[in-house]
Amino acid sequence: MIRISDYHKTFNAGTLNEVYALRGINLRIQEGEFLTIIGTNGSGKSTLLNAIAGTFQPDRGTIAIGGKDMAGKADFQRARFISRVFQNPFMGTAPDMTIAENIHLAFMRGKPRHLIPGLTRERRDLYREEVRMLEMQLEDRLGNTIGTLSGGQRQALTLLMAVMNEPKVLLLDEHTAALDPKSAAQVVALTERFVARYGLTTVMITHSMQQALALGTRTILMHKGQVIEEIAGKDKSLLTTTDLLDRFADLRKQEKLTAEMIEEMRREYL
Amino acid sequence: MELWVGALNLGFLYAFVAFGIYITFRIHDFPDITVDGTFTTGAAVTSVLVVAGTHPLLAVLASFVACMAAGSITALINTRLNVNSLLAGILVMTGLYSINLHIMGRSNIPLLNTSEFFTLLNRANPGLPHEPWTAICLTLIMAASWLAVSFFFKTDLGLSMRASGNNPIMARAAGINVDRVKIFGVALANGLVGISGSLVAQYQGFADIGMGIGTVVTGLASVIIGESILKKHSIYAWIASAVIGSVIFRFMIAIALYAGMDPVDLKLLTAIFVLVTLIVTAKIAKGAGKVKRKHLVTAMAAAAIIFGIFAGVKYGNLTAFIPQKKVKIGIFQVSDNPILNITRDAFLDEMKRLGYVEGKNATFLVENANGDIATVNAIVDKFLRDKVDILVPISTACTQAASRKVKDRPVVFATVANPFVIEVGKTDTDHLPNVTGVYGAVPMDRTMEIVTKILPGPIKIGAIWDPSQANSEVNVNSLKKALQNYPDVTFVGGNVSNSSEVYQVAASLVQRDIDAFVLPTDNIVYSAFDSVVKASRNRKVPIIFNDVDHPEGGALVVFGYTYVTSGKQAANLVDRILKGEKPASIPFERYREIVLGINLKVAEELGLAIPRELLEKATVIIDESGTRQKSGGTSSREGTPLPAKRLALFQFTDNVILDICAEGVLDGLKKSGVLDRQNIAIDHKMAHGDFPTAQSIAQEMVSKNYDYIVTVSTVSLQVTVNHNKKIPHVFAAVTDPLKAGVAKSFTDHPANLTGLATPQPVESTVRLMRKVFPKARVIGMIWNPAEVNSEICTVITREAAKKYGFKVVEVQITGTQEIDQALQSVLGDKPDIFFTSGDTTVSSVIPSLAQKLRQKRIPYVTNTPADIDSGAFICLGADYYDVGLKTADIAIRIINGEKPAAMPIVSYVPEQLTLNLSLAKEFGITIPDDLIRKAARVVK
Ligand SMILES: Nc1ncnc2c1ncn2[C@@H]1O[C@H](COP(=O)(O)OP(=O)(O)O)[C@@H](O)[C@H]1O
Ligand SMILES: [Mg+2]
Repeated sequence: MIRISDYHKTFNAGTLNEVYALRGINLRIQEGEFLTIIGTNGSGKSTLLNAIAGTFQPDRGTIAIGGKDMAGKADFQRARFISRVFQNPFMGTAPDMTIAENIHLAFMRGKPRHLIPGLTRERRDLYREEVRMLEMQLEDRLGNTIGTLSGGQRQALTLLMAVMNEPKVLLLDEHTAALDPKSAAQVVALTERFVARYGLTTVMITHSMQQALALGTRTILMHKGQVIEEIAGKDKSLLTTTDLLDRFADLRKQEKLTAEMIEEMRREYL
Repeated sequence: MELWVGALNLGFLYAFVAFGIYITFRIHDFPDITVDGTFTTGAAVTSVLVVAGTHPLLAVLASFVACMAAGSITALINTRLNVNSLLAGILVMTGLYSINLHIMGRSNIPLLNTSEFFTLLNRANPGLPHEPWTAICLTLIMAASWLAVSFFFKTDLGLSMRASGNNPIMARAAGINVDRVKIFGVALANGLVGISGSLVAQYQGFADIGMGIGTVVTGLASVIIGESILKKHSIYAWIASAVIGSVIFRFMIAIALYAGMDPVDLKLLTAIFVLVTLIVTAKIAKGAGKVKRKHLVTAMAAAAIIFGIFAGVKYGNLTAFIPQKKVKIGIFQVSDNPILNITRDAFLDEMKRLGYVEGKNATFLVENANGDIATVNAIVDKFLRDKVDILVPISTACTQAASRKVKDRPVVFATVANPFVIEVGKTDTDHLPNVTGVYGAVPMDRTMEIVTKILPGPIKIGAIWDPSQANSEVNVNSLKKALQNYPDVTFVGGNVSNSSEVYQVAASLVQRDIDAFVLPTDNIVYSAFDSVVKASRNRKVPIIFNDVDHPEGGALVVFGYTYVTSGKQAANLVDRILKGEKPASIPFERYREIVLGINLKVAEELGLAIPRELLEKATVIIDESGTRQKSGGTSSREGTPLPAKRLALFQFTDNVILDICAEGVLDGLKKSGVLDRQNIAIDHKMAHGDFPTAQSIAQEMVSKNYDYIVTVSTVSLQVTVNHNKKIPHVFAAVTDPLKAGVAKSFTDHPANLTGLATPQPVESTVRLMRKVFPKARVIGMIWNPAEVNSEICTVITREAAKKYGFKVVEVQITGTQEIDQALQSVLGDKPDIFFTSGDTTVSSVIPSLAQKLRQKRIPYVTNTPADIDSGAFICLGADYYDVGLKTADIAIRIINGEKPAAMPIVSYVPEQLTLNLSLAKEFGITIPDDLIRKAARVVK
């Protein structure tokens, strides 16, 4: 479904702030696959997601989605078949607009927007049913602005808005990191349900080792703009976090990781 | 009324600006300055089309489209070229200035005689006055626009616009091309602003290149005001708040103008207001929505307080609105008699009218000595102990006591017959430094004139007074003096010392066969007047008295001052002193209103006939049945009460020529004496170059019902003509009233309008150049095409130059900052003479320009005689002071009753030549002797 070949990206090239963020990524993701990404801070995880979404164009390398080369396609054009949910619950919705208006905006993704009031009563009823599925008691508050909702409610709504049009690819960037544990669990459960129901090809960055191992079919480890390790197969869900740390020790022997990096991973993920 | 309805209408018209600002600032967070340019573009496109005969609605549509195009360019520069939004706006706005000039072809297009939108509306008018009808129509249009704009934001397109502004990341994720939506939004905003420009031009009757300045700030102020007032639960409320904000903003301006604030300060206050609000909103931008509203209200309040304090400090007449130190005023009178009571009550009423409210900003201590001189002094002492700020003695005795004891604070006296005998002053202007006031004694010579008209032939008159009162002595002496001119009138006097003696004395005088009582002002006689009446009735002796407030009291004739005037005038003096004037510089005032009242009922009882001549002069007549009639009689000379009238002198902007012209008008009016004779006050109004302000001033003049209007400058003429169809209006300092669109020809003009056209004597000047510089070939000029006047002059210069064999080298500029460069360019063509005519931009830098030309040894010729002092070589021009005087003459003719309709517009160019011989010597140029002789002034 997604094929990334020799992808390089440098920010602020030629300036003091130059960052070589992605250093030759090669990655294939099958249709319906659920990939999780882990890695230290600043290793390029979000940048990789942005690359897929088309926030910027590469310095070198290509991305193809569903067999089509994405070169030159801007993010709003790819949005027709790629949906995203960000870490910050404020980012996925328009706070001064109502719940119904937000959902309608997501529904209109990829369709032409005309000078007609598309948010009709029938549509509103439809959206109410969708929102009911979130089990967040939002179905009676369609006319309220997003600004009045909690972070968990917003994130659940963002997730709904991301999947309701059955995109080809769903990109999740630490989308539960900013939530309290209870909301986070709710959103994770919703994520599993939606991915399963629509059979979505999903890439999820996570800050939790448990999530990385429990969810999805394959996990990759990123470091300094590169993919340095991959854990896949049937036994993935059987691994424990200690097993994982052992794998890191191996990597150290191969000199792909330094001791400090391992220490940092331990701190961030355990 | 017109002022308030006008403010409502302007608020509606500017509401489209508020819509635009709402879209850019609030939805897209895009501070777009382009609107300052597109507002004018809207006006420009519409005016050109409407003049060409296009349907006004089509013209509005065209303006909308043109301004959308302009707005989209700003947004394209911002999104595609990544130029900061402010800078992009400034770039396009600057460019639009030239484009607008090109569209219009000149800087000002009048729309007065064309069929514009509001004329069209008026055709459907069922007979209402113009402004209210416009208000009704605009209310409907506004309601429709409100629904339309709100509906737009409910459509899919509108939703995506709101999302793009509210959360661009989310919008992009939802597949919205945020850049494109932003371009569309900014374009739409500018289109709406263009509609505003278009409608305002049609409403005010002209388009002008400068009318867009400040649009962004006023629009923002409107949006902010609206937001802080209306709760925004829905998009409908949001949009409504923009309309309401716009209307309130215009009302605020109208109120400020109405309160007499100088419009020049409005800009500053608007800017401060917007700034404060922006700072506060920026600070709480991270906060939740609810907090925002609260802070907006705080910001509003803060701005309002700044506004209030500023206005209060600068303008005393706003003092009533703000808390301040209370002034303490001590008022006291010598006894409880009617004249003094009337004075006191009138004083207190007038103070209240002037905004001094007991307990709020003023404390009035009112005392009465009840006839005891010792008490008078005690009252003064008490006032000093109570630390009063001003003493107001009513009556001569009180004034005497106060002026003797009080030296360190102001004393304003009222109802004193003659302040000079009690030595508070030598003349009206030379008086004790802390004392001023109002005085006047009934003119006894004129009283005698009336008496002898009713009772011709040898008569004996009787008078009663209290010799212990200085005041009464003064009055009796003045009567005796008047009698020197009437040899066949015999005088008998009787003295009293208290009111119980009056009857006896009066009866004794009647006994001595007097033919009439002629009673000078005396407090005791006043309070016991009924006794005199009773004593006189047996023998049918007529009484001539001066208590004009009670003409039905039994006297045959009352002649004198109404003491209401005394109190009123004193209150106004107190007001002036509280506002900072020094009593030393305020001359004593005489009473302004004199009254002649005749009681025909008494005349009938006495069997006397009143000469018709007197009846005609009378201001009050009590008829045979004893009821008061208002007489139609007006008196010819000073003294008789004339209703106060007001003349507005309306100047558009501050520049030398207009200032001089206004000065001429003022001097001409003052010197003629017509102001005093007709009791006319002049209000000098100034718009400081701001168009909406000019607009409001015109509405204000109409709504306050001024009696006469004089305008100085073309814009003030145009704006006024558009609003005023009734008040007689004289214009001045206008080069070409026909081009300004206010008249079809010099004889075919609105019935209430006439004035002076003063073209620059350009052709004469060019002829003069030929005479002085026989060999010269090239004339250099710098001028600003945004000025109508300048353009007309330049065109005439070109033609005249051709005729006299010159070549003209011109460079156009848009502001003084470009003059240096323009000069370099002109000098490149080696001009022999440099010429400036009718251009106010260049005029403002003549001294430095003349200096530079002198270094190049190029003679500088202008059309303003005064420029000779700034280093010009020859000036031939209209003497604008003279123009002002001539304008005053026309105004005086109208004040004296001539009708403007019958007075053709006059073309008047009082040519005045000035020469600089020292420069001539320096350049080695000889100037013909006949010119030197002709010159009004020569610099040697
Ligand atoms: N738009 C950008 N401009 C400049 N630097 C960026 C940009 N996006 C990411 N970076 C830099 O690239 C590196 C990788 O960032 P990111 O992908 O966000 O890391 P993470 O793995 O924590 O998500 C960081 O050093 C970050 O500062
Ligand atoms: Mg990240």
